[in-house]
Amino acid sequence: MKIAVQLFGPLAEQAGRSRLEIETSGTTVGDVVAALGLKIDPSVRFAVNTDYAPAGATIREGDILSLIPPVGGG
Amino acid sequence: MLKVTTDVLSIDEAYAAVRRPDCGAVALFVGTVRNHHDGKAVTKISYTAFKEMAEKEFAAIAAECAARWKTGAVHIAHRTGPLQIGDASVVIAVSSAHRAEAFEACRYAIETLKKMAPIWKEEFYDAGKAWISG
Repeated sequence: MKIAVQLFGPLAEQAGRSRLEIETSGTTVGDVVAALGLKIDPSVRFAVNTDYAPAGATIREGDILSLIPPVGGG
Repeated sequence: MLKVTTDVLSIDEAYAAVRRPDCGAVALFVGTVRNHHDGKAVTKISYTAFKEMAEKEFAAIAAECAARWKTGAVHIAHRTGPLQIGDASVVIAVSSAHRAEAFEACRYAIETLKKMAPIWKEEFYDAGKAWISG
């Protein structure tokens, strides 16, 4: 299945882009993250669509996976 | 009102948004851009956000304030884009019947926003820049 992935903040800067698409047979957030082949620090959280989700959460075709590096609002 | 915006933040708007006849207290928090960090002179800051998710987190914060402190209304506005020293980056206003609840809920709102809202801060110095979290 195809999953759209959003990168933010320092991750987007490092990757040189903020959006990509990946074709994967994985079914969890962790599967998709592993398939990206990016170096992901353990401090990075994940979101499916607009909710935080653990690595074990199920992800489906059409979902948007976001990689959320440590936040700094305020 | 709960929003992430590139517009200049208005304290009057925040105050007006939470004033209610059954509330005797309004607590207001304003986060502003500071000119130093860890001994370095900061020249400007840029904020970026995952707007839709951040606004959803703001809504969760407001709901929690209502549940725990019976707040009258909660306003959370965070600015994104390039900000100059002294600019307001975040404005939170909370109303409640009495002051203790307004203070506590306002404190909860800013602390939770800082942990949960998907917003990123990039600080610029005379030489170089850095992503700042926490």
